Amino acid sequence: MALVNIQNLTYKYPLTKTPALQNINLQIEQGEFISVIGANGAGKSTLCYALAGFVPHFFKGEISGEIEVDGVASSKSTLDEWVVNVGLAFQNPFNQISGAKYTVFEEIAFGLENAGVPREQMQSRVEEAMKLTGISNLADRSPYSLSGGQQQRVALTSILVMQPKLLVLDEPTSQMDPIGTREVFSVIHNLTQSGMTVVMVEHKVEWIAHFATRVIALKDGSILTEGKPGDVLTSDVLTKNGFGVSRYTSVAREAKKQGLWKKEKLPVTLFEAAEGFNRNA
Amino acid sequence: MHERLSFYIKRDSVIHRLNPLTKLVLVFAFIGVAFTFPWYWMSLSLFLFVLIPLAFVAKVSREYFFTATRLILPAAGFLFLMQALFQPIGEEIIFQFYFLDATRESLAFAFTIAARIIVMISAFTLLLLTTHPSELMSDLTRRGLPGQFAYVIISTLQILPQMQAKAQTIIAAQRSRGLDTESTFLKRAGSVLPLVGPLVFGSLVEVEERAIAIEARGFTSKKEKTSLHEVPDTVTDKTIRWVLIILIILSISLNLWL
Repeated sequence: MALVNIQNLTYKYPLTKTPALQNINLQIEQGEFISVIGANGAGKSTLCYALAGFVPHFFKGEISGEIEVDGVASSKSTLDEWVVNVGLAFQNPFNQISGAKYTVFEEIAFGLENAGVPREQMQSRVEEAMKLTGISNLADRSPYSLSGGQQQRVALTSILVMQPKLLVLDEPTSQMDPIGTREVFSVIHNLTQSGMTVVMVEHKVEWIAHFATRVIALKDGSILTEGKPGDVLTSDVLTKNGFGVSRYTSVAREAKKQGLWKKEKLPVTLFEAAEGFNRNA
Repeated sequence: MHERLSFYIKRDSVIHRLNPLTKLVLVFAFIGVAFTFPWYWMSLSLFLFVLIPLAFVAKVSREYFFTATRLILPAAGFLFLMQALFQPIGEEIIFQFYFLDATRESLAFAFTIAARIIVMISAFTLLLLTTHPSELMSDLTRRGLPGQFAYVIISTLQILPQMQAKAQTIIAAQRSRGLDTESTFLKRAGSVLPLVGPLVFGSLVEVEERAIAIEARGFTSKKEKTSLHEVPDTVTDKTIRWVLIILIILSISLNLWL
């Protein structure tokens, strides 16, 4: 059975007329790395909030359809029970620091304290999680003294330490520099390698092509298209609907018109493009 | 820029090792005795013969005297002047300042008030200098203080310096667009407005995100919370607390008796 099962989900924020999500059907298997793309207002964040239980438990509003994670329905659960299974991290690393703790170590333990985990287990779980994201050396620093990339990894670790079954990430790298982006992506990649299921909103197409197992494109609250990254990210449907594509895809598409690109499939990454042009020669 | 707003000085002393609640009770004992004990020189004696030696025992005398000279004594001095000049009590005029008279009684009254204030702020200063805020809060939470309350206190201490930094950024941004922040008082007062808007509304938006972030980590979980740090509470601590509570009660009863 799928880990996540979304059936006919339609949702409207309070005081709005048009639904933010419209008739979403989605199954996610254990271990998938799903990337969600779409324009502003397409419903990406709302989908994240729905998976993480904040829609409707935190934002209220009108909801129909059902979200199930690991066989439990969101509507029959409360938010504090739900967050144990689904971890959420988002854009601004600064706002994800609880503000209640003075060191990174304490910050990461915050969720465990709330969940009532015994002290003896806390120590080892925090250390383990920090090792996983490579921030063991930051343990005694103040969370506010860190760089954006470091803070985002602290935020990620704070969620991971709670051992969720599903990790939901809403544009975690959008405020990062290239180094921060690489740090965050390599952590997520390692996690998926060890079997973690991840849903991630992300615009950096080349990174998606590299790591994601499936891409979902949202438009106006509905799923426009979905499938393997290589297929979705080069499809005409995306370009027709105003999605940005990788520069390698646009170059190859232009080259194809001129007969310079011989392969059927268009590239997304630099590597694929180089390989394709090389075969031409 | 300050990384955080905290007075805590990490040192190893008998006072540092006391349980936070014991120190809190100690603070209230100081206040209780200073305000109720029916002896004119009590507050001054507490300050000279208990609080100052305590600062040395706690190994924070330098930081304490720094706070005392910069904050406590000026505040108490100001209070003394106000009370001495404006209290309309007593007959025997000691000195006059235009139409304001300081009498023997008003001076005595002003002295009492100032001395009490010195004791009160000094006791709190020592508490803050020797107690890590998160230790104090986790100990109080363990004893039944609502977690939300502890969160509000600690996060305010942490977020204030961040807001200060943000205010600086907004000022710089507005100045680069020609906002006048250096001329007459009235103009500067007027220039506060374009600062307050972005700061306040920006912070309100952040509040929602932060609420989601801590909610995602089970902040409102109904399970009994645990704590990463164990805050020791010894028999000595409990004994000290009882002795202090008896002292407070004694002082209050003496006050009512006499």
